[in-house]
Amino acid sequence: MTIEYENIAVRLGGKEILTDTSLRSHENKIVGIVGANGCGKSTLIKTTFGIVPFHAGQIRINGRKITEYRPRELASMIGYVGQDASCAFDFSVSDVVSMGLFARKDGGKQHKKEIVAAALKELGIEQFADRSIQRLSGGERKMAFIARAVAQGTDMFILDEPTNHLDISHQLFVMDYLKKAGKTTLIVIHDLRLATHYCDYLYMISDGVVFAEGPPLEVLKCDNVRHVFGVHGFAGVSAQGVLDFSLFECGELGCISEIQEVHEGRGLREHSS
Amino acid sequence: MKLKAWHTFLFIFLAALMVLSVISTVSIGATDLPFREVYGVIIDKVFHGGREITAGAFETSHYKIIWQIRLPRTLFALCVGAGLAVSGAAMQALVLNPIADPYVLGVSSGASAGAAIALLAPIAFMEGQRQTTAFAFIGALVAAFVVYFLAKRAGGGKLQPVTLLLAGTAVNAVMSAITSYLVFKARSPEGIAAVYNWQMGAISAAQWKTLSIPATLVGAGTAVFTVMGSRFNMMMMGDEDAAAMGLRVRLFRSVMFIAVSIVVASLVSITGIIGFVGLVVPHVVRLFSRTSDNRVIMPMSALFGASYIMWADAYARSVHGAAELPLGIVTAFIGAPFFMFLMIKNGYGESRKK
Repeated sequence: MTIEYENIAVRLGGKEILTDTSLRSHENKIVGIVGANGCGKSTLIKTTFGIVPFHAGQIRINGRKITEYRPRELASMIGYVGQDASCAFDFSVSDVVSMGLFARKDGGKQHKKEIVAAALKELGIEQFADRSIQRLSGGERKMAFIARAVAQGTDMFILDEPTNHLDISHQLFVMDYLKKAGKTTLIVIHDLRLATHYCDYLYMISDGVVFAEGPPLEVLKCDNVRHVFGVHGFAGVSAQGVLDFSLFECGELGCISEIQEVHEGRGLREHSS
Repeated sequence: MKLKAWHTFLFIFLAALMVLSVISTVSIGATDLPFREVYGVIIDKVFHGGREITAGAFETSHYKIIWQIRLPRTLFALCVGAGLAVSGAAMQALVLNPIADPYVLGVSSGASAGAAIALLAPIAFMEGQRQTTAFAFIGALVAAFVVYFLAKRAGGGKLQPVTLLLAGTAVNAVMSAITSYLVFKARSPEGIAAVYNWQMGAISAAQWKTLSIPATLVGAGTAVFTVMGSRFNMMMMGDEDAAAMGLRVRLFRSVMFIAVSIVVASLVSITGIIGFVGLVVPHVVRLFSRTSDNRVIMPMSALFGASYIMWADAYARSVHGAAELPLGIVTAFIGAPFFMFLMIKNGYGESRKK
């Protein structure tokens, strides 16, 4: 299944956040959305469920306009986790995960219990099942929210910074999980190393439009990274053949494409400051 | 499931408490009546159609106190407690904030202003009680929506506890001013007394004939909120999450705000402002049940709120002899410190994300 954002424009509080942004998911691939803080990455995916209204453009799922789907239909197709994994009220983790069952049609109390248990297990948080969501750390809460999206049993995930608040091992755990799950996935991601490692395709957003798109190695080029983030770095293949993203100090190498190519040829090096 | 067993136990306990509260508070009042007489009258009236009263087994004045004053009042207290508590629980979920309550957010004073307009302004298009309730409903609804949108706007699109409280305070002030102005303009002693009564909150106006509308609405409201429990749970996760899980957030919030306003209006139009019930009761219930699951919290809040107000009213009507203490004062003495405690405990100084 595919979700397409076509020429989305969003205005919030009189400010133009997105002017003309188009991007689409790729079947059973992880598509990453990168960009500086406040560039409109989250705003874009928040338009999916109508949390943020768009004043121009269209979102289509499998070719059909998103407004033609009922909310429950959408929830049975897309598992969504927002950036904010907080909760002002006290629920147990399994309560939270079982909320994901709302849009599921396959019924039966026992069956539902099994789905919840399985989702908890997938994310490795079954030991938290009866714990209060408020007493978990930010990272543990994030895992619980992702488990909720898993329990929705959808073919697609849309996740806003899924690795936010997570320690390095859980960051890898979540990304490995998404990779293994092999679903059509759209993620907003800040960590460019993870983006390089795990995303099959990247959209780089800047000033409300898609500035660059393509495989990580093409998008996270030196010039693009400098333009969008104002730092020097690029994605390359290391000597061991691993995709990686590396930062370096400007004075040390200068930031020109030839140097990048040289480095890609030699393999990434660690740059000590 | 340990928690489930505990909930079953709590349900039985709270239901038993409610029944016991009806039985015991009905025998409390300014006039000291022996238990035997109190239950004699009730049992006779309910099971024998008042046979022995006609036969002269009870004093007429005692019969009147018990059957025409105490019992309807006790049952009305039950409705008020249940209705306000369950409304508070619902509002907390709708505005994503544990400090919400019909009183704090100005819905009660909106209802009160509406009722004052119906009683004191020279407009009449419905029969007495119904007009008051209808106007109270409109007032409650206006207050609820104004507070919601004002808070959202001031919070930059998000519902912050601080802006929510400020919006509630502002709407409270406007609505109270409307009520006070009408009292000032009216200059009819009965009207003024009636309005004064609302602002203090009292159940003394309860009669059999005023009981049926609130009882029906509170019962229906509790049932609806309980059935909608899992949706209320989703609302508690925030708009973004609720929408992502398949809930029509705006529609649900609007419809439930209307439902809450109807329940609150049916009560406030008779009793006036009784504060903090919807704040205190759901919190205590959440504390004891160790969950926020609204499928559990809604019915338990109704049961516990009913007992709470029956006892608070029994205290109000008996503590100062014949001079009755307004119930609103009793609930404020209990609720306001609790409110302060919640403020400190939850640290509302720093704004939260949701």
